[in-house]
Amino acid sequence: MLGIIAAIIDGVLIGSVYGLAALGLTLIWGVMEVINLTHGAAIVAGMFGLYLLANAVHIPPYATLPLILIGGFLVGIVLYWISVHRLMGRPPLMILLSTFAVNLVVIGLGTAAWGTDLFNVPVSLPSVTWGRYTFSGTHILAAALTTAIAGALYLFLYHTKLGKAVRAVANNREAAELAGIPTTRVLSLSFGLGVALAGAAGMLIATMFPFTVLSGDAYQLKSFVVTALGGLGNPAGALVGGIALGLIEGFAGQFMPVSWTLVIEFVLFVAVLIIFPRGIFAFRRA
Amino acid sequence: MNDALLEVEELSAGYGEVQVVWGLSFAAARSKLTTLVGANGAGKTTTLRTVVGTISPWSGRVRFKGEDVTRLSAHAKAARGLVLVPEGRQLFTNMTVDENLEMGAFTGRGAHGYATRLERVFTLFPRLKERRKQKAGTFSGGEQQMLAIARALMTDPEVLIIDELSLGLAPLFVYQLFGTLKALKEDGLTVLLVEQNVHLALAVSDYAYVIAEGRLFTEGRPAALAAMPEIRRAYLGL
Repeated sequence: MLGIIAAIIDGVLIGSVYGLAALGLTLIWGVMEVINLTHGAAIVAGMFGLYLLANAVHIPPYATLPLILIGGFLVGIVLYWISVHRLMGRPPLMILLSTFAVNLVVIGLGTAAWGTDLFNVPVSLPSVTWGRYTFSGTHILAAALTTAIAGALYLFLYHTKLGKAVRAVANNREAAELAGIPTTRVLSLSFGLGVALAGAAGMLIATMFPFTVLSGDAYQLKSFVVTALGGLGNPAGALVGGIALGLIEGFAGQFMPVSWTLVIEFVLFVAVLIIFPRGIFAFRRA
Repeated sequence: MNDALLEVEELSAGYGEVQVVWGLSFAAARSKLTTLVGANGAGKTTTLRTVVGTISPWSGRVRFKGEDVTRLSAHAKAARGLVLVPEGRQLFTNMTVDENLEMGAFTGRGAHGYATRLERVFTLFPRLKERRKQKAGTFSGGEQQMLAIARALMTDPEVLIIDELSLGLAPLFVYQLFGTLKALKEDGLTVLLVEQNVHLALAVSDYAYVIAEGRLFTEGRPAALAAMPEIRRAYLGL
């Protein structure tokens, strides 16, 4: 058995990946005020992307990450034009429904192809021993890759012209359009980024845990819990919220059966929404 | 007008079922300061939003340098040099002065000669240079208006359209801004100004259009307009 400190550290490692998934959700909200309900499907697509590329095409597991990022980005852009673009400026419920519809289609196709069996991608990495504690290599590498992706996203948003244009569109879309920024293209690009992040998170989760076609729902809900903690639309808050959620899971896992962690998370979700409607870590809206 | 850089013909526009602008025609002559004046709610802002493409016209045409640009999107018009400083500044409040200016120069047009233009903008508005790393949202109204104009200048406009330059600003500041506009005009910039303060508008412009209830009421040189009894009564309070 791991000690409580080790459980908490492990929780932080896993939680950072939850943060990465939530980053995808929160980025799309921050830029265009759209709740993307294809999020769960994108996470599952990342999981099965890893499974197919690693098992069928025999690409080394971690080499699938860039492919999944690129694929997720392109699919996200297509999804924007299919399910979001024409509904922008209409009542928000319409985009919730259209993205939910896409989610159902993707999950339906996945179920038809693979059923709802449990899949497992064997990733062999040496574990790391630190004193009396042992940490799984996949968890450490997942956290490291999450940090790298989040860092790259930060550099993009704050140090490239296109990234600054994404922030400008998030800040004031009409002014961005008047400044000559093709805002519709920036919206589709942001949606692509959000889906790519969700897919990458799914891929990293699949290196750590077994999954089914239906796993997306649980992780999508985790992303909502994370954004409730961190404040929707706040990228830094998503990462901090993810780590907080992982920490809570690791800690709670020490005192009660694992099946209770979801119950605790959603009680927490409701409690946070009531007490801190703008998020515990919502320093300010991004 | 033969040397009109921007020509608006029989423009009609509105929101939903409500028509606001009714067959309005006007033009902005090259290197002149043209103003649209009129009371609050006369349709001035709607007119400008339609001209730059933020909203689509119901009918009518917008010509820029002789080319029909009516249906172009706002960002495409900005890329051609038709640039609006919107009412209420509309800055990127979460971003720094530098970033706001960089976004003004997003188009290929603005990116060309960026460093030179940045220097020129900082010469016009030295206060912005002192606060390059400060977030735009922390600025006072006057500083925000400076930054809004500076951002628009970074796009390298041929026609600079300003909606309500003086609204909410201290008089001293307004005179300063008009001084800057005059200098820009002498450098060849075409300015189209919408102004609620009719006194001020007539004092600085080369040509003015008076708009009432979305229609053209009258037009002419400022001196001629200021002499008309109905203008004096309705707008100048004389």
